[in-house]
Amino acid sequence: MKTFDVLIVGGGIIGTNLFSLLARNGVKVALLEKEDDICGLVSRANSGVIHAGYDPRPNTLMAKFNVEGTKMYPQMCKRLGVDFVSCGSLVVAKKEDKKKLEELLNRGKQNKVPDLEILGKKDLQKLEKNLADNIEFGLFAKTAGIVSPYEICVALAEEGVLNGGKVFLNFEVKLIEKQENGKFVLSNGKEEIAAKFVVNCAGQHAAKINDLAGAKHFKMNFVKGEYILLDKAEKGFVNRPVFPLPTEKGKGILANITTHGNILLGPTAFPCKLGDTSVTLEGINKIKQDVLASVKQPNFRKTIKLFAGVRVKSGSDFNISRDEKQKNFYYAVGVCSPGLSAAPAIAQHFLHLLKEDGLKTKKIIVKKRKPYTNTEKLSEKELDKLIKKNPNYGKVVCRCENISQGEILEALNSPLPAKNIDAIKRRLRPTMGRCQGSFCRPKLVKILSDFYKTKEEDVTLNGKGSEIVVGNIKGGIQ
Amino acid sequence: MNFDIVVVGGGPAGMAAAYSASEKGSKVLIVEREAKLGGILNQCIHNGFGLHYLGEELTGPEYADVWQKKLLKTKAKVLLSSVVTKIERLGDRNVVVHIKNSEGVSKIKTKAVVFSMGCREKPGSAINLCGTRPAGVFAAGEAQKLVNVHGKLVGKKVVILGSGDIGLIMARRMTCEGAKVVGVYEIMPKCGGLARNVAQCLNDFNIPLFLSTSIVKIVGDKRVSGVVVAPVNPDFSFDLTKQKLVKCDTVLLSVGLLPEIDVLNEFNLERSNVTNSVVVNQFYQTKIPEFFVCGNVLHVNDLVDNVTVESLEAGVCAANFAKTGKTTKKPIEVKLDKNIRYTSMKYVYKNTGSVTLCFRVSDEFKNAKIVAKSGEEIVASVFKPVVRAGQIEKIVVDTSKLKNDLNLCLEVA
Repeated sequence: MKTFDVLIVGGGIIGTNLFSLLARNGVKVALLEKEDDICGLVSRANSGVIHAGYDPRPNTLMAKFNVEGTKMYPQMCKRLGVDFVSCGSLVVAKKEDKKKLEELLNRGKQNKVPDLEILGKKDLQKLEKNLADNIEFGLFAKTAGIVSPYEICVALAEEGVLNGGKVFLNFEVKLIEKQENGKFVLSNGKEEIAAKFVVNCAGQHAAKINDLAGAKHFKMNFVKGEYILLDKAEKGFVNRPVFPLPTEKGKGILANITTHGNILLGPTAFPCKLGDTSVTLEGINKIKQDVLASVKQPNFRKTIKLFAGVRVKSGSDFNISRDEKQKNFYYAVGVCSPGLSAAPAIAQHFLHLLKEDGLKTKKIIVKKRKPYTNTEKLSEKELDKLIKKNPNYGKVVCRCENISQGEILEALNSPLPAKNIDAIKRRLRPTMGRCQGSFCRPKLVKILSDFYKTKEEDVTLNGKGSEIVVGNIKGGIQ
Repeated sequence: MNFDIVVVGGGPAGMAAAYSASEKGSKVLIVEREAKLGGILNQCIHNGFGLHYLGEELTGPEYADVWQKKLLKTKAKVLLSSVVTKIERLGDRNVVVHIKNSEGVSKIKTKAVVFSMGCREKPGSAINLCGTRPAGVFAAGEAQKLVNVHGKLVGKKVVILGSGDIGLIMARRMTCEGAKVVGVYEIMPKCGGLARNVAQCLNDFNIPLFLSTSIVKIVGDKRVSGVVVAPVNPDFSFDLTKQKLVKCDTVLLSVGLLPEIDVLNEFNLERSNVTNSVVVNQFYQTKIPEFFVCGNVLHVNDLVDNVTVESLEAGVCAANFAKTGKTTKKPIEVKLDKNIRYTSMKYVYKNTGSVTLCFRVSDEFKNAKIVAKSGEEIVASVFKPVVRAGQIEKIVVDTSKLKNDLNLCLEVA
């Protein structure tokens, strides 16, 4: 049986943060992920905002980990070679709501958030040209930023693998047993993996994993967040996340940017069932209506994608702890927003708990992750040099996002290789541009089948059951 | 390297423009991103191409082949598997086109550029297609490529959304490959495609067409398992009391085309809200005189023959401009009444010979009289027993008769 020091269940933003952290500390660690790629659900589809930390109630885990995590982001992104857009964030308000902004500012101060400032109309207009006419004040939080959540998960997982960690994909934990020697054995029904310590970061399945382990029982709620993504041609509509005033239900519908230059509007907040990421007309109409509270009319004719993510909730705060009943079992349950911001600090916290409980770390020579080539960011001279060395970088596969075959081959040869079309998408963005893959998907099917030496019928969108083509045409292929 | 004209895109429009410009004596380079010329024609293995212009019914690849042969007889140069990454206009007839291919990055100096990049297909999200996002949802043209070029079947039980020509043709194609097409759903009360395609692609194969009906949502986790359909009310909201689940494993979207004009985004050229493209004058020329636009990237044509005719003209105009640098002043805006959706050219000029305006009407009209007026005078008119929104109509105007305006109206006799 494969045996590790620590097993992490779930390859979302917390799981991958902890995975990389443990690997870099010389711990024998494995990450178990139920899907065909990491970053399967909760961490994949959200606003990508690294929150400054004025929003959570003081003295909560949310507040603590948010502020600590956000501080870690710029340095972490630099280390991983992924983008951190240091754009700050705005909460905007009408004249009569200035008091509510001041409350937020004060909460921010209690949470020890640096660089918060309330701006008047004149200063706001310098930052954003398209605020709604009746907006008079805005809380500007300079330390907030934007990341691509799936790129960070991929980068962290790759960093973990580079430093000795193991990732098991398509490993759905179905059984957790404790041996007499105190070790946990996790099984997917076919294969068993053992470890002294188990950390549950299973996102929407976290309560189930706790139950399997005989740890504290949680009741979880799921909230669907729908989004509208606009073409890059709309870049500049806003230059940072622009929030309305928060309400009981959440942070509201924001006008936002992505690290790649799209405009992102949403999310809605409808209660939903586990795993329900379907988009509804009701939701889309709500976004279109509610976003107008903060900004002028966006150009919805430039919509390229509707999507939804699921947020997990259990009570009013994060549940991050060592289990009281089950020794050497740890969990992160109900980590909703600001979970992305908090994740690096949560990972540090888990490392601290694990060490307290006897986990041995050791100094290793940490290998640095090599980011993927981004031919769009190269100067023509640099690109020319690269193509002359490797012609694949001159063969464009995705015309909308301008991604070459060379870049795609990097994703297939990475420390955590992309195995399906969505996995390539999350590493490099093909099928994410304005044509949404109608030009490049057939090419990607071919590239994947050539690379893995399988039939084109075996190439999937995101794992078994999501095959793209179903067979040959009657006449066969020449 | 220096050229008189660089043509961006080697589909039917690009080949025709490059051919005519070359025949006019211009030094032409055609840049094509795929490994061969022909564009979307290469995946259109059905026939019906060339009936009007060549007088014979060819398949798409055959039609492309005719033009490729014509083109290769000229001195035009062809650069395949190459993309244009950037265009810089430095001054009068001084444009630099940046090109990337597997040999590296190069810059080409040219006097004029013809943009003929065609269209991309509108994604489902652009029309608020809701539900899940499983495998098995294809743009119709994407499916056409997988079937006809890759030789791969994309599904066995198919629903088609949108009754544009690509949707109709794929309904027939999928049926011929043994798939069951359970229905074509069209949100409008009328079919979007050509009448001949309804007859040959749907009726001949007993494929039902559901008008004023659309997909409420896609259902399915990993692969499509069905769609929920419902009739639409006159305000295009769904009548959800009549919604029902239709089981299928594949959805093909034929919900419209968008011009692949984005390489021109940075130039802030005047745009049309109808075509989503830039607007041109009667010489297929934009406000930046070095830039010419033709083919489906200018407006979506019904027949490739029309693309060829239009692009041959555009090539000649570009060649003349490259040679002389002359531009015509004082444009007259072609104004349209509500029955006419758009014209391919927005501006014309006095005393520049006769000009053929291509246009689309907004609905089906019987006994339609299309009239071009300037001042109080009727300068041209055409009578048609029936006009349809799906078809391109034409009217020839003698520009020597123009005063200071031009109004195009459709009157029902």
